[in-house]
Amino acid sequence: MIAWGTILTIVSSLIFPGIVIKTKATLEGRKGPGLLQPLFDIGRLLRKGSVYSLTTSLIFQIAPVIYLASVVVAVFFIPFGEAPGLLSFECDFVFFAYLMAIGKFVMIIAAMDTGSGFEGMGANREALYSMLVEPAFFILMGSMALLSKSITLHDFYTNLYSGSHLTYLLVVVGIFLLIEIMLVENSRLPVDDPKTHLELTMVHEVMVLDHSGFDMAVIHYTTGLKFALFSALIANFLIPAGASLVVQSIVFLVVQGGCAIVIGISESFRARNKMSKNPQWILTLSATALIVFLASLILTHKFILP
Amino acid sequence: MIFFFIILFAISLIYLALTERVARFITLLIIQGILLAGIAYWHLKHIDVIHLSFILLETLVVKSIGIPVFLNYLRKRNRLNRLNESKVPTFVSILILSAGLVFGFLLSNYLQDTHIETIFFAVAISSVIAGLFFIISHRNVFTHLIGYLVIQNGIFLMSLSVGAEMPMLINNAILLDLFISVLVLGIFINKVGDTFQNLTVDGLSQLKH
Repeated sequence: MIAWGTILTIVSSLIFPGIVIKTKATLEGRKGPGLLQPLFDIGRLLRKGSVYSLTTSLIFQIAPVIYLASVVVAVFFIPFGEAPGLLSFECDFVFFAYLMAIGKFVMIIAAMDTGSGFEGMGANREALYSMLVEPAFFILMGSMALLSKSITLHDFYTNLYSGSHLTYLLVVVGIFLLIEIMLVENSRLPVDDPKTHLELTMVHEVMVLDHSGFDMAVIHYTTGLKFALFSALIANFLIPAGASLVVQSIVFLVVQGGCAIVIGISESFRARNKMSKNPQWILTLSATALIVFLASLILTHKFILP
Repeated sequence: MIFFFIILFAISLIYLALTERVARFITLLIIQGILLAGIAYWHLKHIDVIHLSFILLETLVVKSIGIPVFLNYLRKRNRLNRLNESKVPTFVSILILSAGLVFGFLLSNYLQDTHIETIFFAVAISSVIAGLFFIISHRNVFTHLIGYLVIQNGIFLMSLSVGAEMPMLINNAILLDLFISVLVLGIFINKVGDTFQNLTVDGLSQLKH
């Protein structure tokens, strides 16, 4: 049953983008495409061949596959209820974070490889936002380590509620932070708008402009998988300990669907930030995570000064 | 519940640094007032009903309704929409406020007095620092008023942190102080707005001529 969480994450990643699109369409008063339409689009792209510019090198060709591989391996670390992920070791959350960073790094150098000024600009912005959101993720993980007195991703969730009941309140803020981190990591509103058509205002979309066919399908699928990955992190906060596998699976899938709906609602009503406002908005996430960390220190009676 | 409200209060301080729209500033002050009412209720519910009702009246009616309504009147009368005249970039402001939070936490750790509740004190100190920073980093008189109110919220939280019940007299004094200050600054803002057509304090230097 160790692989059950991984299987569920991969299954939910298939319809995650569909739920987001459907929610947005419903709120806009449109019928919208079916839940599986993004999957059909990926299937159509997979059947096409990729076209490579003569200015690009091997890096550009292998980047989408490395991007997918890094996220797939990161999924292996996601625990499910009391069961650890397929891979689990001490301080695995650091490895998890840097796996995500590897994927982003190869996509950034692939964008630079095209020699396009627009793609370089998008890569520059993506690197900045990733750098700014990283402290928020690590401070949040540090808080969880403090509260659960453990250093593996699996133990974070199993030991989290064993201390003070006030932990539940911190978890609410933690879930809010993870949702916002998910939006930044996946380049969605309010940081980036995937629907924008002006290269000057794009962040992630401009980076992948030169990819086509199979590579584009891989990139699209990886986006859905990253959504499911972060939603799985959120779902683990809410999966009831000691419940049957069926109940845990239902809770997991409901949270996945809930996250997709929340993103759809947020993208329907939220305006995109001005480009110059993005760094300070992302920094606010780190500042909020810092508050959670300080509260965790107080809860666990860890006094820094003598 | 108090714990959660204090965390939300601390988060509202960070969002204060991010905000530029005047209407959003006022909304944040309303939220802070409601949070303070919640904190005061959960913390002081054992005291007698008259004192408790007075404190709740002070936080809910004055901080969450009275002052915001007055600020909104000032905003409309002086046609204030955005306050982006800060001398310090917002990015740096957020870093400074985060440092303020850490400082508040370290200070409350350092004191380790049995009469001081750590989280109350840490956030209260941060609130005072945030208010002071707000006043010195902005040129607009309206923002100075907001900063003053944030300091006042911090002082209210600090009075709760020392554990003792606030005597009625001190409460009255705080309330009167707050009311008079907001009223005086409000009239001042209106006069400055009428005379200089904008509310930056730079224009005040013309008064000496």
